[in-house]
Amino acid sequence: MTSLYILTRKEYVQMFREFKILWLPLVFMFLGATQPVITYYLPSILAALGGNQGITIDPTMMQQDGAQVMAATLGSQFDQLGIMVIAIAIMGIIQSDKANGMLDFILTRPVKVGSYIGGKLFSNFSFVALSVTFGYFVSYVYVNFLFSNIPFLTMILALGFYLVWVLFMISFTAMISTIFNGQGVIALISIVCLLLLKVISGLHPIIDLVNPAGMSQQAMMVLITGSMDSQLYGNMVITFIWITLTVTISHYWISEKKYHEN
Amino acid sequence: MKLEIKEVTKTFKAKTAVNNFSMVVETGQCVGLIGPNGAGKSTLIKIIADILYAEKGEVLLDGKKISTMKKEIGYLPQYPDFFHWMTATETLFFMGQLSGITKQELMEEVPAILTKVGLINEQHEKVQTFSGGMKQRLGIAQTLLHKPSFIVMDEPVSALDPIGRREVLNLIQEIKHETTILLSTHILGDAEEICERFVIMKQGKKIEDTTLDKLTNNHQAVVHLELASHNMLWVQIIEKLPYVKNVEVLGKKAKITLDNIQQNKDRLIRDAMDNNMDIVKFEVGSSETLEDIFLKMVVSV
Repeated sequence: MTSLYILTRKEYVQMFREFKILWLPLVFMFLGATQPVITYYLPSILAALGGNQGITIDPTMMQQDGAQVMAATLGSQFDQLGIMVIAIAIMGIIQSDKANGMLDFILTRPVKVGSYIGGKLFSNFSFVALSVTFGYFVSYVYVNFLFSNIPFLTMILALGFYLVWVLFMISFTAMISTIFNGQGVIALISIVCLLLLKVISGLHPIIDLVNPAGMSQQAMMVLITGSMDSQLYGNMVITFIWITLTVTISHYWISEKKYHEN
Repeated sequence: MKLEIKEVTKTFKAKTAVNNFSMVVETGQCVGLIGPNGAGKSTLIKIIADILYAEKGEVLLDGKKISTMKKEIGYLPQYPDFFHWMTATETLFFMGQLSGITKQELMEEVPAILTKVGLINEQHEKVQTFSGGMKQRLGIAQTLLHKPSFIVMDEPVSALDPIGRREVLNLIQEIKHETTILLSTHILGDAEEICERFVIMKQGKKIEDTTLDKLTNNHQAVVHLELASHNMLWVQIIEKLPYVKNVEVLGKKAKITLDNIQQNKDRLIRDAMDNNMDIVKFEVGSSETLEDIFLKMVVSV
């Protein structure tokens, strides 16, 4: 048995014991359902509660199609509350091991730093990706039910692109968790940086190309237009470079024992 | 296994925690690393356990770099803490597997080692519920699990209550015969009890490397006398006796220096009997305890 396997399995057991395995998918399923349901019922809710003073619903308003609602699930739900939930769920990924001394313990064993980080990232990414996928499918079901149908392949493709952005969120938060020691600081820095990346995406094509949050933009584009943007591959390659960079920094920080010095 | 520490230096920002420290620990030895708080003991131990890097110098185990010999080292930190959600058994399985021990072996080893450290009844309880002493014992269990040939312990008993302290000390006494041990402490009595050799550290430097025998032989033997009453008149009289060199009185106790103690201690006790002194304690020993020597060294050097 390799230490990568042992460390990965330990992460899964921990998720079970801490009920993360329950609440994270539930949060994303809730987020996934919110967008289509609110979009569909908002006119009725406004009509019922708003009375007739000053508010009129344009009866000729164009019905949104499924792809737009699905894209809004990614852009307005997952990329806002979702980012915060992910950052908070994994802010302690390495910080908690530093705090209780387990990192020291693990590293006095014949364990490579790469196995340690690899186990952390693999387990957490696979789990968060699964939660996001659940939420995404819930959204898909509601969209198909309340709005128009989306081609299955398009939907899967968009999800794939979105998960690359999720992988960046995790490797970035893990890096922050390696460098800083306070949970609050880690959550704050991760959330602010990731939201900032999201905010600046869509401003300019050049920025989008080097912005990992551009992958979320790409996913939305695929959903809405059904075709892939010319920048997509460049964006994906650069995002993977960012991911490699964050992992390398974490690896450097731990193997050079920098985490002991602040 | 032979441990060599060669000219190790470690600096934190402006403070030099370990300064050009060298020593050799031979196979089977038990060495006590003693020094006041902040002397750099923990830093040195962490460098030996390969948790911190030394800026200069190196640590070799059997002539090989310590980072390649992790299977041979057992490390016990000052405040061992584990994953709170794991049980004692799970913790040992986890740590054992990381050391490359197979599950089959662990099935046999883990209960045996938990019995040894006295945690067998708590084997399925979560670490969360453990007291400091229990965590320390679990820490010792994980140090021994992979049968290392060299064990480093950072203040293994300092944070424990008297009962926990006694348990852990007995445990160390037991394992002492099987491995080479280096432990740090600032409680001198503990070091005196377990170790044969002492290395005294101050401000990152080694200021003394000696054995208990050597230390006490360097100092002359005296009589420690304790009386039941506060009446020390007799003590003042004996100061005039020809074979008594010096008397120091401290409450009911007196430290008496004699000429040729082997011959004259009997004369002294006979004299005390003749004067009907109520003796509580009459002891021939070193004029200085390890503590006196330690204090003198640490304060004066």
